[in-house]
Amino acid sequence: MSNTIDFKALWNREETSAPDVRQIFARANKLNRNSRRKIMVCNILLILTIIFYAFMWWYFHPQLITTKIGWTLMIGAMVMYVISNYQLYPLLIKADMETDSHAFLLQMIRIKHKQEFIDNMIIKLYFLMLGGGLGLYYIEYLKRGTLLLQLSIYCVTLALLALNWFYMQERKTRKQHKAINDVINKLEEVNRQLLD
Amino acid sequence: MVFEDIYRDYWNKVFRICMGYVNDTDVAKDIAQETFINIWKQLPNFRNESAIGTWIFRIASNNCLRQIERQNRMPKTELPEQIEDKHEPDKEWQTKLLYKCIAELPETDRIIISLELEDVKQAEIAKITGLSESNVRVRIYRIKEKLTLKFKQHEQHN
Repeated sequence: MSNTIDFKALWNREETSAPDVRQIFARANKLNRNSRRKIMVCNILLILTIIFYAFMWWYFHPQLITTKIGWTLMIGAMVMYVISNYQLYPLLIKADMETDSHAFLLQMIRIKHKQEFIDNMIIKLYFLMLGGGLGLYYIEYLKRGTLLLQLSIYCVTLALLALNWFYMQERKTRKQHKAINDVINKLEEVNRQLLD
Repeated sequence: MVFEDIYRDYWNKVFRICMGYVNDTDVAKDIAQETFINIWKQLPNFRNESAIGTWIFRIASNNCLRQIERQNRMPKTELPEQIEDKHEPDKEWQTKLLYKCIAELPETDRIIISLELEDVKQAEIAKITGLSESNVRVRIYRIKEKLTLKFKQHEQHN
C-alpha cells in the first residue's frame, strides 16, 4: 500500500443501481395514505365518542349536576387523548430536515424534550379527568345503595385506577422515559462533537 | 428542477453518504430512499437560497442523524470474514475497509468526510453541518490522518 491513499477513488467505487423512481413515489404515497388513515381513525373515534356520550345522556337522564360534570370529564379525557395522539402530537414532533446538522440536532433535542413533557402531561391529565369524572358520576347512582355498597364500589374503582396508575402506567412511562432519555443523551453527545 | 433529474444525478452520491454513515447496504438504501421522499415533498418549496446540492446533502445528512432515534439500526462495522482474511489487498477490499473505517468514526465526522470525499466544497460542508469553514478544514485533515493510520494498521496486520 502506498503512503498516499487515494480515498476519493476508493470512495467512488461504491455504487448501487437506483431503484425505479416509481418506488419512491409509491413509498411516499403509502406514507401519505398512512397519515390520512390516522386522521380518519381519529375522526371516527371522536364521532363514536360523541354518539356514545349523547346516547348515554339520553338513556340515563342524569339528574344531578355531579353526574353531568363527571360524565363530561370522562368523555373529555377520551377526546383529549384521541386528539393529542392522532393530530396534535404528530404536528409538535415534526422536524425540519432542511436545516444544517447543528441546528437539526438542537431541534431534535428540543422535540424529544417536548415529547417527554407531552407524554407525561397528557397521561396525568387523562387519569385525573377520568378518575375525577368517575368519582362524580357514581354519586347519583350510588346514593340509592347502602353505605357499604357505596364504600365498596369507590374502593374497587380507586384500587383499579391506582393499579393502572402506579403499576402499569408507571412502568410504561418509566420505559418510555428511559428510551427518550437515551436518545436525548446520544443526540447531545453527537451535538458536542460539533462543539469540540 | 425536475425530480427525476435530481434522482438520477444524486442517487449514488446520497447513497454513498448514507453508506459512509451506516456501512450497511440495505440500511443505506433505505435512508437514501427516505431522503428522496423528503426531497420530492419539499422540492416545490425550494427557493434556490442555497445550491441544490447543498440542500440535498443537508436533507441526506439529517436523515442519517435521524438514525440516532432508531436505536436498532446501529452501524454494522464488522467486515465479512472472507474479506477480512484476505492477505492481498485489492481495490474492492480497500473500498470496504474505507467504508468500515468511516462508519467507526464519530457521527459528525462520518458526515464531514463523506461530503469531502463526495467532492463537496468545504464552504458548502460548513453550510451543511453548521460548522465554520476553518473548523471543517481542520477536521477533514484530522479525519484523513485517522483513516490513513487505520489503513496502515490493517496493512501491518495482514
